[in-house]
Amino acid sequence: MSAEFLQPFWRLCEASVPEPTARLRDSGRPIVGYLCHYVPAEILLAAGAQPLRLRGVGSEDSSAGDAFLSGRLCTYVRHVVSLALEGGFGPLGGVVCGNTCDHVRRAADVFRKKTEVPFVGFLSVPRSPRQDLFPYYRRELARLYSGLCEALCCQPSDEALWEAIRRMDEVRVRLWRLKELRLGARPKLTGADALAVHILAQTVPPEDFVALADPLIAALEASPGLEPPRAKVVLIGAELDEPAYVRLIEGQGAFVAADRLCFGARSVLPPFGKEPTPGGASRGDPLDAIARAYFFRPSCARMIGDFPARHEALLALCREAEAEGVIFERLMFCDPWGADQHNLGQRAREEGALPVLFLTREYGIVPTGQLRTRVQAFVERIEIQRARRGMAWGAVRP
Amino acid sequence: MSRSTGLRTPRLDRGKLRGREALLETPEWRELLESLPVLRSFFAGDPGAHGITALLHGVSIYLERLFDSIDRGAPCVWYNLGFNPELVYALGDAQPITIEMLGVMHNLLGNLDRSLAFIDRAEAEGAPGDCCSADKLAAGAMHLGLYPSPACTVGINTPCDAQVMGTQVMAELGRAPFFAVDVPYYHNEETVRHVAAQLRLLVPFLEEHTRRRLDIDRLREVCRLSNQMTETLWEWLDWRKLVPLTQSSKLVAFTLVLQILFTGTEEGLAIARGLLQEARERQERGERFFEERCRAIWYQDPVWTDMQIYDWFERDLGLTVPVDVFGFYAHTTLIDTSSLDSMLEGLARKLVNCHPMARQFRSDIDVYIQDFLHLHEAWRADCGIFAGHVACKHAWGGIGLFKEACRRAGIPLLVFEFDMFDPRVTSYDDIFFQVERFVNEVVLPRKARGRG
Repeated sequence: MSAEFLQPFWRLCEASVPEPTARLRDSGRPIVGYLCHYVPAEILLAAGAQPLRLRGVGSEDSSAGDAFLSGRLCTYVRHVVSLALEGGFGPLGGVVCGNTCDHVRRAADVFRKKTEVPFVGFLSVPRSPRQDLFPYYRRELARLYSGLCEALCCQPSDEALWEAIRRMDEVRVRLWRLKELRLGARPKLTGADALAVHILAQTVPPEDFVALADPLIAALEASPGLEPPRAKVVLIGAELDEPAYVRLIEGQGAFVAADRLCFGARSVLPPFGKEPTPGGASRGDPLDAIARAYFFRPSCARMIGDFPARHEALLALCREAEAEGVIFERLMFCDPWGADQHNLGQRAREEGALPVLFLTREYGIVPTGQLRTRVQAFVERIEIQRARRGMAWGAVRP
Repeated sequence: MSRSTGLRTPRLDRGKLRGREALLETPEWRELLESLPVLRSFFAGDPGAHGITALLHGVSIYLERLFDSIDRGAPCVWYNLGFNPELVYALGDAQPITIEMLGVMHNLLGNLDRSLAFIDRAEAEGAPGDCCSADKLAAGAMHLGLYPSPACTVGINTPCDAQVMGTQVMAELGRAPFFAVDVPYYHNEETVRHVAAQLRLLVPFLEEHTRRRLDIDRLREVCRLSNQMTETLWEWLDWRKLVPLTQSSKLVAFTLVLQILFTGTEEGLAIARGLLQEARERQERGERFFEERCRAIWYQDPVWTDMQIYDWFERDLGLTVPVDVFGFYAHTTLIDTSSLDSMLEGLARKLVNCHPMARQFRSDIDVYIQDFLHLHEAWRADCGIFAGHVACKHAWGGIGLFKEACRRAGIPLLVFEFDMFDPRVTSYDDIFFQVERFVNEVVLPRKARGRG
C-alpha cells in the first residue's frame, strides 16, 4: 500500500529540478541552488528564494564541466557543473557554494566566471566544529543572507528567518518520523526509499514535501513492515543521491537501516524552531539558531579533528539501528572522505567488532556485477560472524 | 600497476622510539644520516655551491637537534606542511616535527625505495590511491612508527584538501591532543585576525601539552630570525630575476622546505644567506654552466623524485626555471615583534599570505592566476609549465580557467600530469620528453619569431 505513496518520490527524484520547484519558478519565485549541507536552506527561503540542492541527475556526459575542472575532480561536481553550463537547471536566481571541499570551491569559480547566474554566494565554513570558530560561521551566514536579500530585492528580517525555520521544521518533523520507521525488527521503509524521500526534502518547496510525506507516513504506520532482512547495515559517505545505488545494495540482502549520507540522514537536523538548541542558542536570534544547528550538526569528513566524534556517532547509530556492519561509500578523488576511510579502517581493524565494506564509486553510474558480488560477500561475512558467535540476528552489537 | 617495492620494514610500535639509538636502528633514519656526508662531499667539488651546502648543513643540525631532544625526552610537536614552527621553537626545548619530513627527505636524496615504501604502506593501511602522495608519505612514516610520539599535534587546513586528509590521519595516528588551525577562504584582514585569534589559543594548548612555557623573548628572537630569513629570500629571488640565470633552477623550490622546517632558526637564516650569496657571486662572476635559451615559470609541483631533471633541462634544452610556486615568497609585511599580539598577527599573516601554496591554493582561482601572471612578468619568463600533481584537486579544478588566462595573456603553457613523489605515475623520460617537445616545438620557435 505504501508503494503508491513512494512512487511520486522516486519519480520526482529523476529530475534535477523537480516539477513542484519548476512550477514555483514559473510563478516568479527565484530558484537558488546550493552545493553542500552546510548551506542552510532557511537562509535562502528567508530571502524569498526556493532552495534547490544541486544534483547532477540527468547529466549523461560531464565533458562541459571537465573542460574547466579536468577529469581529476569528483564526478558529482563535474556533472553538476556540466548541467549548469548546459542550462540543465533552467534559469537560476543564484547559487551558493562553499569551501567545504576543493571540488565545490572550484565549482564556485566556474559558476562565477562561466555562467549567467546573477548571484553566486560563497560560505567559508570553518574546518572544525569548535566553539571559538562558531562566530565566524555565523558572520558568514549573516553576510550571505544580506547579500542574497540585496540580490533578490527583499528586506532581511528576523521574522522571515523564523518563518523559514518553521517551514523547514515541518519537513524535519516528517523526516524524523520516517527515520523512526526504518528501525525495529520489521522496518517499514527501505534505505533506498528513505534516500529518495530525503532528496525530495532538499529539492522541493517544504509545503509540497509535507503534502507528499504525510500520506506516506500514514500508510507506513499502518503497514506490517518488511520481512526481517538478512543483515542490517549503516550506510555512510558523501554525496550519494542515487537511490538506485542503495536499492542495489539492499537487493543483495544488506538492508540499510540507517545512513549518514550527505543527501540522506546527515542532512536532517532535529527541529530547532521550538526548543532551544543543544548549544544554548537564544530563541530570540534566528540566525544564531540556524548557525548553531548547522555548524554543530553531525560533521562531514571535511571537519578536521572531529573523526573521533564521527566514529562515536557511527557506533551509536549502529546500536540504535541494530546494524551489524557498515558500508562506506566514497566518490573517487574525495580527499576528506579518503581520510575517514583510512581512519575508519584503522579502528575497524583494531576494535574488530564492526565489519566495514569500503566502496569507491563514480557519480551517475550504478555498477551492477562488481557491487553485487562485493555486497553479497559482505553479507555472508556478517552472517558467518553471527553464526560463529552463536547469536541470533540482531544480537551482535558493535 | 604493481605497488610492491620489495622492501620489508618491520612494523614498529608507534611511539616506542625512546632514544637516538632506537631511531638509528631503523634503516629509514640510518640511511638518511649516512647519505648526508656523501652528498656534502659530492657538492664540495663546487666551492660556489653555498646554497646546497648550507641546506645540507642545516639538515644535519636539524637531525642532531631532533636526536638530542629524543635522548633528553623533550616533547615533540607534530604538524603538517601548511604550518610554520616558530611558536614551537619558542617553547624551550620542544621539538617540531613535520610529518612529511622523512618521506620528502628520502625523495630528495634519491632514495626512492624508502619513500615509495611509505606510499605503499599508507595505501595498504587504507589511504585511497587517488589521494596525495605527500600525505601518504606522512601516513606511511607514521604507520611505520618512525617519529617519536608527540606531546600534541597541530593541523592546519592549508594549502588544500589533501592536507585535510593528512591532518586527520595525523590526529588519529598521533594519539595525542590535536589542535586544528582553520584558515578561511578569503584574502582579507578578517582572515588574518581569525587565524591570529586561533594562534592565541594555540599557545596555551602547546604550553599545556608540552609542559613548557612560551618565552616571549625567545619568540621575539625566533620572529627576528624568521624576518631576516624572509628578507634574505626576497633578495635572493630578486637576483634570480636577472637574465640569464646563473644559479641552478632546482634550488628555487627549497623556499618551501625552508619555511616548513627552518623558519625561525639560525640554520634557516644561514641557508637563505647561502642561497643569496651563491646567486650573487655567480652573477657577479658571470658564471655560465649552460646557455639559457628560454625560461619558464614552473607552476604547481616540482619533480621531487629527481631534482636533477632541472639540470638536464638547462643543459640539453637551455630551459631555466628562475622561480616556481614552491619558491615564490610573496612580498608582504614582516612580523612586528613589539608584542605577543603583534607577533601572533605577523605569524598568521605569514601563514595565510606568504607561505608558498597556502597563499595560492586556498582561495578562489583568481589569486592563483594573478600570482602566475606576476611571476611570469617579473621573472621575465617565456612560458609556463603546469606540472600537475595527479592528486592536486584544487589545481586541476582550476585548469580550465588557468589555461584560458594564459591564452588571453599570450603565454604558451605546457600542461602535464605526474606525481611529485611517485615516479611510477609518470616516468622521468616521459616528463623530459613532454618538456623537450614543448620547448623545441613551441617556445623556442615562438621566441625566434619575436613573440616570447
